[in-house]
Amino acid sequence: MSDDGRGPRRRRIRGVIGLTLTRLWKQATRTTSGRLVATLAGVALTVAMLLLVTGVAIALAGGGVATADDADVRITPDGETVVSSVNGVEGTRLGAASERAESIRSEEGVEHASPVLVEPTTLEPIDGGESAILVLVGVVPDDEPRTVAGLSTAALDTNNRRQIVLSETAADRFDGDAERLVRASYRSDGDTAFTVTATEPSTVEDAPVVLVHLDDLQALSGAADDDLADRMLVWGDRDAAAAAGADAYPDAAVERTGAASPASLFDDELAFVTSLLALVVGIGICASFITTTMGMTVDEDRRVLAVLEAIGFPAYSRLAVVAVSTLVTTLVGAIVGIALGWVGIYAANSLAGATVAAVHPLFVPYAIGVALIAGLLAVPYPLVVAARTTVLEEVGR
Amino acid sequence: MGLTDRLPRASRPSDAEGNAETSRGTAVRLDEVSHEYRLGSGRFRSGPDRSLLALRDVSLEVQSGTILGLKGPSGSGKSTLLHAVSGLLVPTTGEVSLLGIDLTELSSRRRTRVRRRHVGIVFQGFHLLPSLSARANVALPLVGAGVGRTKRRERATELLDAVGLGDRTTHLPGELSGGERQRVAIARALSTDPDVIVADEPTGELDTETGAAVLELLTALGRDRAVLLASHDAATLAIADRVVSLHDGQVVGRER
Repeated sequence: MSDDGRGPRRRRIRGVIGLTLTRLWKQATRTTSGRLVATLAGVALTVAMLLLVTGVAIALAGGGVATADDADVRITPDGETVVSSVNGVEGTRLGAASERAESIRSEEGVEHASPVLVEPTTLEPIDGGESAILVLVGVVPDDEPRTVAGLSTAALDTNNRRQIVLSETAADRFDGDAERLVRASYRSDGDTAFTVTATEPSTVEDAPVVLVHLDDLQALSGAADDDLADRMLVWGDRDAAAAAGADAYPDAAVERTGAASPASLFDDELAFVTSLLALVVGIGICASFITTTMGMTVDEDRRVLAVLEAIGFPAYSRLAVVAVSTLVTTLVGAIVGIALGWVGIYAANSLAGATVAAVHPLFVPYAIGVALIAGLLAVPYPLVVAARTTVLEEVGR
Repeated sequence: MGLTDRLPRASRPSDAEGNAETSRGTAVRLDEVSHEYRLGSGRFRSGPDRSLLALRDVSLEVQSGTILGLKGPSGSGKSTLLHAVSGLLVPTTGEVSLLGIDLTELSSRRRTRVRRRHVGIVFQGFHLLPSLSARANVALPLVGAGVGRTKRRERATELLDAVGLGDRTTHLPGELSGGERQRVAIARALSTDPDVIVADEPTGELDTETGAAVLELLTALGRDRAVLLASHDAATLAIADRVVSLHDGQVVGRER
């Protein structure tokens, strides 16, 4: 029964971990340990809320109206150049959009590619009424219904021009009905008449969006000369679409849109601050909860710790029992929290009828990392409680 | 076949904490040991300091292979003496030697190591871990000793068999009777094959019949170990080779 050397020490550490896991398992399954459940629930709810808020932040950073689409790949200009526009300030645009969209469409695995041009434009009914400034989004429709800027392209005829599809919010502002003629004026030197083909609910709430054929909007806004577009949307196999997009625009950013990108948080200050606050608050709440409940648990466990000391457990082994208990409980709580957070995000999206919160595989290591940091911040207090245990007070009676 | 026959003593390497006398010699020696508990002490104490002299100049020896009984009323110092022998407290003055190792000279860490290697403790209240099975409870000291899982299970199963609980290995303490729990506690105290067994009121919470079975076990253990047994009960003390009477922390009588 010698305990000299590293072998016994390793076996002791393994034994202590096994003992701790066995105790936790038995407490969870064969006893009514309310405090264990409370710790797990506290960590799980905090992690779930953190993921939900982070998901919302990522969705927020992912873009608003102009990116509420169902494309598989999105191509955007990758330059920092900003040029002036009549209506304000706009960034770099993609050139030769129609031609390159055609070349992308010709690639195997690509279903469709559409340049997208976004221009705020004044619309007014031809037969009189108040005008309104709405966001016109120019697209190239095909036979399949696609979602662009939160609206379906199905009502745009691929062969006929001068058609527009209004979002319900746009229709409210402008009083436009189907088949009614409207006049659009972008600059002081030109008007174009359009027919309203449909008024549709948008997947993006309160967005005054109007879908229009790309070439009509290019002509109206003066973007036709260089065949300009703000972005290119590509549908089809993601790998093929991304490769075709990169070939067509080697200097542009080609983004697969199947999963939200946490990296987008760094491009959006509001989303970044929101997620950062959620992280700090989440760690704080999680650590406070673990500190309180595990401190109380260890306080109840003083007799067990005293027995371990009496039968010869070294001090570090006794403290290891407490530390491993705390971290394992935190970790299990985090795993439950990830599941709850996932469910919460899907529930939020289902209730909203739109993607208000995004999910990403990186949420798993993120949540576990956050929980472990909270656990490490919390562990000193239970350790202090454990270290203060006096064996004679607990088992000497 | 008795317990000792079924569980022969394991040979162990020499101890790092001095020259352990593992042969049949003096296992425990107390030399003019006194201990004073300070009452009401602490950072936020109020009122005058009070103290309680729990042991006064106690000297005694216990040989391997003998059972020493300690008797006396509550507060006479029996438990304090057992705690000093097991290294759970360091007496205010005097020397406590365990197998030739002076416990009063050792740090807390080293006393824990000596206790782990040489002392088995049987508590009056059993003090089994409620969320662990009987086998896991018996194997617990072996975890602290760094024994591998397979050997721990084998040893614990062997000991539970020896105390007549071979069919209760997976039961939780809450599923065992008082006598069974105490037998598990005795098996736990034996798991590291200690040289000294310290038992504080081992039959205090048991009925007569169950207590007799536990005493039979302790008698068997006393054949090749030093056993220190504190009790109020005359029947329990009857198994002792010698009995020391304590009163107000002093030795007031020695029998046999």
